[in-house]
Amino acid sequence: MNTIEFDIRGQICPSSLLTALREINIHQEALRDRVVRLRFLTDNRDCVATIPESARTMGYASEVRREQDCYAIEVFGD
Amino acid sequence: MDALTQTYLLLAVGSLLLGLAAGAVMHRSDYCLAGMFRDLFLFRRVDKLRSLVLLVVVSMLLFECARLFGLLPNYPFPLFYAPSAANVAGGLLFGVGMVLAGGCVVGTLYKMGAGSILSAIAFAGLAVGSAAYAEIFPFWSAFGKRTTFFAGSVTLPQILGVAPTVPILVCAAAGGALVLRWQRQGKFRRTSAVAGDLQPWRAALLLALIGLLSAVIVGLPLGITSSYAKIGGWIERLFLPAHVDQSGFFQAVPLHYRHPLTGVDLAGGSAPRFDALAAIQFPLLVGIVAGSAVSALLLGEWHVRRGIPARQLVSALIGGIFMGLASRMAPTCNLWHLLGGIPILAASSFLFLAGLLPGAWLGGRLLTSFVMPPRAEEGPRRP
Repeated sequence: MNTIEFDIRGQICPSSLLTALREINIHQEALRDRVVRLRFLTDNRDCVATIPESARTMGYASEVRREQDCYAIEVFGD
Repeated sequence: MDALTQTYLLLAVGSLLLGLAAGAVMHRSDYCLAGMFRDLFLFRRVDKLRSLVLLVVVSMLLFECARLFGLLPNYPFPLFYAPSAANVAGGLLFGVGMVLAGGCVVGTLYKMGAGSILSAIAFAGLAVGSAAYAEIFPFWSAFGKRTTFFAGSVTLPQILGVAPTVPILVCAAAGGALVLRWQRQGKFRRTSAVAGDLQPWRAALLLALIGLLSAVIVGLPLGITSSYAKIGGWIERLFLPAHVDQSGFFQAVPLHYRHPLTGVDLAGGSAPRFDALAAIQFPLLVGIVAGSAVSALLLGEWHVRRGIPARQLVSALIGGIFMGLASRMAPTCNLWHLLGGIPILAASSFLFLAGLLPGAWLGGRLLTSFVMPPRAEEGPRRP
C-alpha cells in the first residue's frame, strides 16, 4: 500500500485539519480501494482529536502515533 | 514597604500564579477561543463552543455568588463602559484578526509558550496594532462617545433598572439547561490520543475558577491587552518619545479603582510606564507563556518549527495588528468580554460578541482564500 505523507508541523491553525480534509477528499477512491494511506505529521494538539473524528465521519479509519517531536495520524480505508 | 508597594506585589504575584495555571490549562486542553468561533463557520463544529457556554454559565454563578458575599466591591468591574457602536466594530475587526493570527490575545500567548513562531509574530503584531491605535484615538474616542447609548449603564440589569441576581439566574438557568442536555448526550467528551489531554469541559471549569480568583484577588477579571499597548508604546517611545508623550491615548488613565483586599487606590493606563495595569497584566502575560512552556516541556512537545509558508507568517502579523488595534477600539478583547463581561451581563460585551461572530466568519473566508497554501507550497510530501 502506498503511503503519502504531509508534513504540516508548525503551520497556522487550522491548516492541519483543512489539509487533511482536502487530501482525504482528493484521495477518496484510492482510500476506499485501500491502495493508499494518508499520513499527516502535526504538532497541533487539537488536530489529534479532530482529524481522526472527521475521518471517521467520512467513513475512514485512522491511527495516531506519537513520534519523536510530533503526532503522526494515518487515515486509511476501513 | 508601603501599602501601594505591598498591593503591587500582591497583584503581581497573584497574576503570575493565575497566569501559570491558565497557561498550563489552555495548553493541555488546546483551549483556543479563536478556534471555537472560527470552526463554527469553517467546519460547522460547535463542540468547542459548548465548553465556552459551560465556562460562561459557571462564571455567571461564581461572580454573582462572590458579589452577594461582598467579595466584589468594584461591581460592575472597572473598565466596562456603556454600550456603543465601537463595541461592534471592534469585535468585528477582532474576529477577523484572531482567525488570521491563528489565535486570540491569550491563545497567542499559550501557543507562543509552546514554541510557535507564528504566535510570536502575532504577538509582535499585537504590540504594533495596539500602539497604532494612538493615531486614530481622537477620532475613534469621539465616535465611541457619539454612538454610546444607555449612558451611565454598564450591564443589562442596570439598563433594566433591576438588581443583577434575578437576570443572572435566569440566564444561568437557560445556559445550564443546555449544558445539562449536552452532558446527558455525552457531547462534552472529546476522544483524543494526545498526551496529557485535558478535556475542554474540565478546562472550562478551571478557567472559570481562575477568573473568579482574579476578580477577588486582583479586583478585575482576566485581561491582557493593555500590556500589549504598553509594549508597543515602549518600543515607539525609543524612536518617537515626544510623539508618544503627547499622545492622548497614552496620556489617558482609564483605570481607577480601590483594591478590594488592601483598600489602596490604584490607577493605570496604556502609557509605557509602571502602574496598576502593568503590575497586573505583565505577570499574567509572563505566567501564561511560562505555564504553557512548562506544560509543553513536560510532555516533550516544546519545539520551534521552521519552514512555515510565508503567507502564513504574513497572516499572523496582520492578524496580530488587527487584534491589537481592535482591542483598543472595542475596547478590549475577547478574554475580557467573554470571560468577564458576559457573565455579569455587560451590554458592551454582547455587542462585542455580535461583531466577533461575523468577524470570525470573514476571517475564515480570508484564511481559506488567501492564506492556506496551494498543494505545491506545502511541506514535503513523500509517496
